[in-house]
Amino acid sequence: MKINQTVNKSTKFRVLSDDQIEEIYYSALEVVERTGGVIYHDGALELFKNSNAIVEGNRVRIPATMVEEALKFYPRKITLRGRNGKRSLHLQKDMVAFGTGSDLPFTHDRVTGERRRTTYKDVSDAARLVDALSNYDFHMSHGIVGDAPNPQTYDRHQFLSMVEQCTKPMVITSVDGEGLEDIWKMGCLIQGGEDEFRLNPLFVVYIEPISPLKNDSTAVEKLLFAAEKKIPAMYTPCPSSGATAPATIAGMLVQSLAETLVAIVMCHLKNPGTPLIMGGVTTLLDMRKSTYSYGAPELSLASAANTDISKWLNLLMFSTGGCTDAKVLDEQAASEQMMNLFYSYLSGANLIHDVGYIDHGTTASLESLVLNQEMIGMVMQFGKGINTDDEHLALELIEKQGPGGEYVTTDHTYNHWKEWFMPELQDRSDYETWVKNGSKTMGDRVREKTDHLLATHHPPPLEEKLHQELRKICKDADKRHM
Amino acid sequence: MTNDLGKISDSLIKGNVDELKELVQQSLDADAPPADLLNKGLLPGMEAVGRKWKEGEMFMPEVLRCAKAMSGAMEILRPRLAKEDLGSAGKMVIGTVAGDLHDIGKDLAAMMFEGAGYEVINIGIDQPNESFIKAAIEHKPTLLGMSALLTTTMPRMGEVINSLKEAGIRDKMAVIIGGAPVTKEFADEIGADIYAPNAGTAVELAKEYYQSKV
Repeated sequence: MKINQTVNKSTKFRVLSDDQIEEIYYSALEVVERTGGVIYHDGALELFKNSNAIVEGNRVRIPATMVEEALKFYPRKITLRGRNGKRSLHLQKDMVAFGTGSDLPFTHDRVTGERRRTTYKDVSDAARLVDALSNYDFHMSHGIVGDAPNPQTYDRHQFLSMVEQCTKPMVITSVDGEGLEDIWKMGCLIQGGEDEFRLNPLFVVYIEPISPLKNDSTAVEKLLFAAEKKIPAMYTPCPSSGATAPATIAGMLVQSLAETLVAIVMCHLKNPGTPLIMGGVTTLLDMRKSTYSYGAPELSLASAANTDISKWLNLLMFSTGGCTDAKVLDEQAASEQMMNLFYSYLSGANLIHDVGYIDHGTTASLESLVLNQEMIGMVMQFGKGINTDDEHLALELIEKQGPGGEYVTTDHTYNHWKEWFMPELQDRSDYETWVKNGSKTMGDRVREKTDHLLATHHPPPLEEKLHQELRKICKDADKRHM
Repeated sequence: MTNDLGKISDSLIKGNVDELKELVQQSLDADAPPADLLNKGLLPGMEAVGRKWKEGEMFMPEVLRCAKAMSGAMEILRPRLAKEDLGSAGKMVIGTVAGDLHDIGKDLAAMMFEGAGYEVINIGIDQPNESFIKAAIEHKPTLLGMSALLTTTMPRMGEVINSLKEAGIRDKMAVIIGGAPVTKEFADEIGADIYAPNAGTAVELAKEYYQSKV
């Protein structure tokens, strides 16, 4: 009988120690008390004025005690339900889900190979692919509907195209508070009412502050609406190290956390128990090209560290992976996407978004979504870790087969090889077989699979009456904004 | 009877080693024609397995389990079959050439050929050229298989072919070669008949070769 045994049921990975996290947390509290943030929203300023915070003009400084009190009220578990009726997305510590990003203005045209404006159809196609691809757990729009009747109401049309073609839970974006209200109403219709939506939310709303430490009126209006209706939301700082945050990762993490803590207090003042999720696209400004990088290794490192912090704070985490600065789906794309997928997964972030982004968060690529399906599979396989029980140590088998024996025909192999990752797109054939099958590259195979899925996958349509009601909300919004 | 043949095919496709042996034995005991058991029961089953394997529906451990079942059934059936009943499923001598101790590729190929109904004489690893010749004379195979995993041992395969010629038996059998460093060009250079880039396709390539000769 053995004692004092520890078994790793999965692979383990961590960037920061508890002491380092405390250091960052105390520093963020210091920033919140000493530097504070600016808020361009009268309602929010009013909330702070009626609290122990100090408000001077738009500047708000918040005592650490208010932060610590507010932090106790945030959920450690949120479960989302897609329109397929499945409560499939369980956000809780170390449960990881993958999904796309949103609102890319351009699309890599699969026919011409050129970059052009993203359309309603592109967003629909992306939704359909995400619905078909098993490793995607949630859907964000990928592209932005650029051909909506009015840019001020595009968000309703975008959401409609998403729910038409994808039955999974979602992360949505909206133009402003009014847009969020419309989309939330659409969500309530789909889920069967406000109460049902609260218990079985269809989506999380994505909102972001402006680094450093700035909260614009539309972001705050969305945040406060989400708090009022208890719509799951994330307030995601997007600091670029060296430009809108310190050039050191630690400094960026401190500031990013301070931005989150301001929102934590704001939502708490509005409505305690708001299902707010911590977020962060923490990366750097490339100092040669002046771009916000989606492929830098520092993005992976800072994001994983941010997830460590979120877990220490008992907050859920919205992180970033599967994205690249490469303009087309090339070797750079594959290497960068793989790297940030890998570490975001191992870190245990709950929602990993931006999967499939190319061109540093500017261009949509349907093929990139398909490539990432395979890469997510590889990454998840690595995360499974190694079972070391007697059956898996296989001592009896090694003895039985002996030196010079073989394992391929044994029952043990027959029973266990299916635990392996089964590639769908990677080619592992020998050279001659590869040539015989057309000498296809990964790109060729990705294209073929994308073609196949687009030609064959059609999710069940929305019920006609519901569809009409959803369309009516879009039309009414268009009329209001004529 | 037809029903029993269907059962034999199914049992083979499922890779039920013991059940298949029993089914074949029962059919023989009930005076079923051995040629029918082979041609209408086992071979159609193995063809289905080959098809599924090629289309990626079945995987190595499953296919080899079927091959093992086939091989077990053939042990019972072979003594009851007339020579002409065996058709294309002939006899094979297979081994790894001198200086090379790698055997998994060669063994996999051997199992696949057994699965296709071949009687396979596996002479093992690190076999000097004379052993191939000796086995070829003794067993009179229709197919001689050689494998090498090392570039340093590859030339032995050409030497064996030359020895077959010297012994005057080169035209009695087809020669199939394989192994990671081996290429089609090399196979042509040394005068081998069939080159198999992997164990999984060897049987099919051999079949294609024999068909091209008819």
